Amino acid sequence: MNVKRKLIVSLTLLFILWILTVWISLFSGTYEFNPLEAFSGNDEMLKTILLKIRVPRVLMASIAGGVFAISGAALQALFRNPLASPLTLGISGGASLGALIAIRLRLNQGLLGFSSTSICAFLLSILTIFFVYSVSRIRGVVATGRLLLAGVVANFLFSALILFIQFFSDFIQSLQTIRWIMGSLDIVGMDPVWKTCVLIAPPCIVLVSITKDMNLLALGDDVAHSLGVRVKTVEKTIYFATSFAVSSVISVTGPIGFVGLIVPHILRVIVGMDNRILLPCSFLLGASFLTMADTLARTLFSPVEIPVGIFTALIGGVFFLWLLFRTKKEIIL
Amino acid sequence: MERILKAEKIRFSYNGVEVLKEIDVSFFKKETVGILGANGAGKSTLLKILCGILEPSKGSVFFYEKDLKKTEKKELARKVAYVPQHPFFAFPFSVKEVVLMGRAPHIGRFEFEREKDWEIALNAMETVGIAHLKNRLVTEISGGERQLVSLARALAQEPELMILDEPATFLDVKHRTETMKLLNTLKEEKGLSVIAATHDIFSTLYFDRLVLLKDGRVFAEGKGEDVLNEETLSVVYGIEVIVKKEGGRVFVFPVN
Repeated sequence: MNVKRKLIVSLTLLFILWILTVWISLFSGTYEFNPLEAFSGNDEMLKTILLKIRVPRVLMASIAGGVFAISGAALQALFRNPLASPLTLGISGGASLGALIAIRLRLNQGLLGFSSTSICAFLLSILTIFFVYSVSRIRGVVATGRLLLAGVVANFLFSALILFIQFFSDFIQSLQTIRWIMGSLDIVGMDPVWKTCVLIAPPCIVLVSITKDMNLLALGDDVAHSLGVRVKTVEKTIYFATSFAVSSVISVTGPIGFVGLIVPHILRVIVGMDNRILLPCSFLLGASFLTMADTLARTLFSPVEIPVGIFTALIGGVFFLWLLFRTKKEIIL
Repeated sequence: MERILKAEKIRFSYNGVEVLKEIDVSFFKKETVGILGANGAGKSTLLKILCGILEPSKGSVFFYEKDLKKTEKKELARKVAYVPQHPFFAFPFSVKEVVLMGRAPHIGRFEFEREKDWEIALNAMETVGIAHLKNRLVTEISGGERQLVSLARALAQEPELMILDEPATFLDVKHRTETMKLLNTLKEEKGLSVIAATHDIFSTLYFDRLVLLKDGRVFAEGKGEDVLNEETLSVVYGIEVIVKKEGGRVFVFPVN
């Protein structure tokens, strides 16, 4: 089957899966009702729950899952390593510290419909992106090994700072921070959804437009060069595009792990290695995966909601182990 | 003979160590050139500079009359192919996917491979003799087979000039000979020019011309039977050798 047909078929199937997931998710919750009836009916409360809470939440889950997954796939192509993920490069640490600062200083001033916590998280994660990048440069050129190391170290450093500040915080602030770090899709109204959409669309389009170059990166720098790829430019583009998209999402939802690692991994087994197929498919499967995970997280122990970040890590981890047990092949890193 | 590539006063340093010290060398159309030299003599570095992967610290490389620095990378990729010494594959792509990647410079950013590109890739695999491997994963075949995959990928690029870094490293005697014969056939039939670094004195008889490097400089160049003598080889490799010539072939043995 040629690449184009494979791409169209897999995107169609994954889109149908996403629609199904969204539909199921809209049905489920503490209040069970039929979304169509709620929408056309006269019950104002049901209508509010549907339009102000459930629809935004499902869409936010889709955007966040999509961004984490597509960024994971792109970063794995950048580092030529299937274990890279959007939370590897220090962004989540930076965002968490930003959120903590906002909570600790009791900032209440929102801007453009984003809360002060989101804004601080975003600013600090952007700072982290440039900090990690500048550390990893050698004579003006980014070195991927240093980039990975600098990102991991930045994450540790931020964790230490977070714990340090936590130690001097009162109980409520600590709880708020921990709750934020667990990751949540608890949003109200469509505003954050639209705004995040505007922020993530350009980097995602950029990533999809360089998937062919990502394939060639897998042949090593020298060969990629000889095939006409501007290796360093492509590497820089992947780094900044994924970082920016992930920052935009994390500053609203908090860090949600495992989606970016596991979705591309599952897809490689199904659709193969070709990044032209892998990246767009990752977005759709990531969207379905996180929507489903969030639905389970808020209905399984209803009326108690488990933070979705814990839930993705749990099912993701179990699934990953199952995959390891099932395939008795050596894994090439 | 028309000149295809010219290196002019090339110098190159890695972390302050000068690997190439002023190299002037030319390559011509429909010519196969072997580059010899001891380990660390600068063969691989020279090859990478010749195909634009590395930029020289000083000096310039001209492809026909055009400076490589001013040539668009993708345009160059349609004409010059590079086969590395150690083929590297980060992900388990299938053999045919990798060979098809050789078509990348000929395809626009948002285009997919056409029927013609598949045919060219299949032909390249048949030419190299790896058509039976096409659905295997590149991570699950042998080192020698990977080198052939890399060669097929370069062929699919349909280049005018092919630059190979020790193409024979992982190949057995039969495949080594066949690869060299194949390069010569392509030279005759398609006018391909070849530059290859090699340690294998056995295969030097397949080259029109040899360039011997010593300590980052060209020590000698010329036809195999002229350049391969006891004196030159002793200096280049730093080991005493006996050279016997018989029927246009050169045999080299170490003294001890």
